[in-house]
Amino acid sequence: MFIYTREAHPGETVPHHHSFERKLASAKLLAEEAGIGRDILVDNLDGTVHRAYGLMPNMTWVIARGGRIAYKANWTSAANVEAFLIRFLDARGKHPPGTTPVMYETQQAEFRYPDRERFMQHLLRNGPRAVAEFEKAQKLWAQRGAT
Amino acid sequence: MGEANRDAGATYNYPHFDDYVANGGDMADEATFWASPRAGQRAPEFVLPRLDDGAHVRLSDLWRSKPLVMEFGSFT
Repeated sequence: MFIYTREAHPGETVPHHHSFERKLASAKLLAEEAGIGRDILVDNLDGTVHRAYGLMPNMTWVIARGGRIAYKANWTSAANVEAFLIRFLDARGKHPPGTTPVMYETQQAEFRYPDRERFMQHLLRNGPRAVAEFEKAQKLWAQRGAT
Repeated sequence: MGEANRDAGATYNYPHFDDYVANGGDMADEATFWASPRAGQRAPEFVLPRLDDGAHVRLSDLWRSKPLVMEFGSFT
């Protein structure tokens, strides 16, 4: 399931959402262009659900059967989610006779390898302004790193 | 929508990414992620409209009988 949030990099073609109708129109465009086959749910204009789950632009959560959080990542890696699900379901289902599985929590860092060319194409899809503003943001991040 | 909600929506739906970063929005949002519910806790419950037919979908109905993968995102 996919939850459409806000445009992280608004531009001339795909702007920020100033109305729910605008948000719905952008969500439909994304569904068509990206070919998302899963159900898409649309958050409200204020981002109520996005806020409750942590406001990151590309994140994934896994909720275990019954409603407990099993996994949260501030970046989406399909391979990482898949590997987690296999391990989680296996551990939950195949516990030794006479034992009861007890959930515990880990926190671990992972690496990702951004495809800059693909990302820049996505920015350009939103509009040239999205590219220019991302480049300005990169300078701001560099300044942060220097202080 | 009330005045406070309009303000919240305007801040949330920032029009310029560089201004959002210059104002520390990215750092604040990352802090929100780390302050959000942890693994093992109950997932926040909401009802959201489904894009293709407008049906109101309760999240707990989706995780009642099997695990639910929830990906959040936009065009970028």
